[in-house]
Amino acid sequence: MFKKILFATSATEATDHAARVAFNMAQAYDAQLFIFHVLGVPTRGYSQVVLDVKTKEEVVLDDEYVAWVEEEIKTHYTKQLETAQKTEIKVAIGFPHREILRAARELKPDLIVMGGSTGENEDSVYKKSLVGSTLQRVAKAAPCPVLVVNRPAASFWGGMSNIVFGTDFSKASDAAFKFAIKLAKTLACELHIFHALDIGSVHTGRILTQDEIETKIRESLRRIRGRYLPDMDGIGDYNFEVWEGIPYIEVVKYARENHADLIVMAHHTQKTSGEDTRLGSNIEQVIVRAGCPVISINR
Amino acid sequence: MKKILIVDDDPNIIDYLTTLFEDNGYTTIAAHDVQEGLEIAKKEIPDLITLDLEMPEEWGPRFYRKMSQEKSLKNIPVIVISGLSGGDHAVGKAVAFLSKPFDRDELLKIVKETLNV
Repeated sequence: MFKKILFATSATEATDHAARVAFNMAQAYDAQLFIFHVLGVPTRGYSQVVLDVKTKEEVVLDDEYVAWVEEEIKTHYTKQLETAQKTEIKVAIGFPHREILRAARELKPDLIVMGGSTGENEDSVYKKSLVGSTLQRVAKAAPCPVLVVNRPAASFWGGMSNIVFGTDFSKASDAAFKFAIKLAKTLACELHIFHALDIGSVHTGRILTQDEIETKIRESLRRIRGRYLPDMDGIGDYNFEVWEGIPYIEVVKYARENHADLIVMAHHTQKTSGEDTRLGSNIEQVIVRAGCPVISINR
Repeated sequence: MKKILIVDDDPNIIDYLTTLFEDNGYTTIAAHDVQEGLEIAKKEIPDLITLDLEMPEEWGPRFYRKMSQEKSLKNIPVIVISGLSGGDHAVGKAVAFLSKPFDRDELLKIVKETLNV
């Protein structure tokens, strides 16, 4: 299922937690791991002078500099590289999100692994809002699932065995479900199908009675059953659950309470158009807050 | 006498913790991985568990998940002791997180408070 993993890294501490997951997965699933780093952004189009993403200095690009950066990456991951089997370091120049997507098209990985936001520095080329904009752009356009480790705490699971799939019954969610079910079957995972009933924004100005909420929960459970139960053959252990609240909080809470080691959600395409590269705000918040890795699926 | 289960793949840490706890009036048992830890825990029902995060095979958070599914084990307090940074919230319901190298007095204080002795 994971033969090729593209780990997009800034090769700094900010992505160390994602690195733990990437190296661990590569080892556990015997995958080839591409360690991909964008070293600099050209100061002008096609310029040989680039702004180094780590030092923030302008440097003249030549083979020697690229080799030096590769060596730096090797040093940064010395410990992991000792035990890793099939790894390849790749360095590129350009805008990080574009280069990561280009690499994804060329290398055709089964999964892209990324860290969350990088550092506090306002001048970082990765920039960040709630989740880094590099991440937002990659997640939106990636040809394969994107696994994100934002909180350090999310990186200590050592593999996947208990998956929470968060659904909002959208078409995008169906694609994410396909991936979740395949993953659960291939890796013999427990699978939780979870829907959060949004009682925050939808009914502004009106407070639902608990009877109304629980009627809606029942409806949603029936919907989950109707939509997903036929595909549950071959899944050893599964649960259907609906909780009311603020969706992203409920997903994070549900995953925590059930000790999930992975959350799978659709990258939300509703309400996004044109240049708007934001992830759906729910998955964005889940990525930021989750205590386990989150896989975002956009197609 | 209160019983502490030490789950850690590093024999040096097990040695160190065993001596530390036994010198301070606790009995100890040790397990080197998650599987062994669960088997011993079920048999011995310890009063407290110290848990490492990264171990070969399964990792600490999964030990916690499995023990919380066991009726006899789910209320046993867990102290996470790990050499990895950023693991503070890796086991959300642990009573404490200590990163190696840790202060022995701090650990003993937490153990004492947790066990209420």
